[in-house]
Amino acid sequence: MANANTIIGSSITIDGEITGEEDLVIQGTVKGKVSLKESLFVESSGTVEADIQVAAVEISGQVTGNVVASDKVELKSDGRMVGDIKAPRVLIADGAMFKGHIDMER
Amino acid sequence: MATVVGDRIFINGNLQGDEDLTVHGRIKGTVNISKSLIVEPSGIVEAEVQVANAVVSGVVVGNITATDSVEILKGGRMVGDITAPRVILTDGALFRGGIDMGDVKADDSGLADARARAAASRRPGAPARVERPAPRPAAARPATRPSSPARPTPPRPAPPPAPRAAADVPSAPTGMGASAAGGGGPPAAPKPPSPPGGRRKKILLKRR
Repeated sequence: MANANTIIGSSITIDGEITGEEDLVIQGTVKGKVSLKESLFVESSGTVEADIQVAAVEISGQVTGNVVASDKVELKSDGRMVGDIKAPRVLIADGAMFKGHIDMER
Repeated sequence: MATVVGDRIFINGNLQGDEDLTVHGRIKGTVNISKSLIVEPSGIVEAEVQVANAVVSGVVVGNITATDSVEILKGGRMVGDITAPRVILTDGALFRGGIDMGDVKADDSGLADARARAAASRRPGAPARVERPAPRPAAARPATRPSSPARPTPPRPAPPPAPRAAADVPSAPTGMGASAAGGGGPPAAPKPPSPPGGRRKKILLKRR
């Protein structure tokens, strides 16, 4: 995460679509759609209300929407998510909150 | 005080009780116990399961309702739906189905509640806890969720493992309609894992 290139700060709200080929750290609010070839980090102050398509995502904040990841989805202990997950690897830590459907089929 | 189902035992029917159950063998039917179910790597449970805690290192096909937690460890495989306030998926676990942890949109107090429960139970090997902390305000819960707290529950008909629509996921406040539309591909088709061959000798075990 330290070498993430793009950071959306905690006072920022984005309504729309984010696409890219590098890591993205969200500390603020993003609504719409996120499509990355790399990793997405939703930090504890971050809120994402979007459909997400990434290689990997790490959630410590709040995500509402569906996530498709080519590698993995990781819900940290303070992460909260409502939506469906499709990824070969899904990790849910104790303390995380999740409601939705998971499909790990490769 | 614990029951162990050995790896050359097959139980077909309803199993209920008030002690821990460790499964090395195979169980088919329903499991309703007020303590912990431990499915060892060689264990296969094809059942509707109601427990306080479930720890899965083997195979579970069916739905699990737990009053405390469900944990799927590395090597564990499960197809079915989970209803529990705490659900832990470890890397290396395989899961397909729905997860309902109750009110995810909990305010911070609800979250703190979950944290407290999680922290309180981070004692490896601790005995099963049947009791649950006071429920969060009923108004904040989805109507479909059973609202009673601690319960060594009577058997409650659970939905079949799958296929299911994701429609019971309440769509989020800001309208991720796609969530309710179940964008996650085709519904899960539970196919019972082929049991390890060579030990199909069937013995019926009658619990005391």
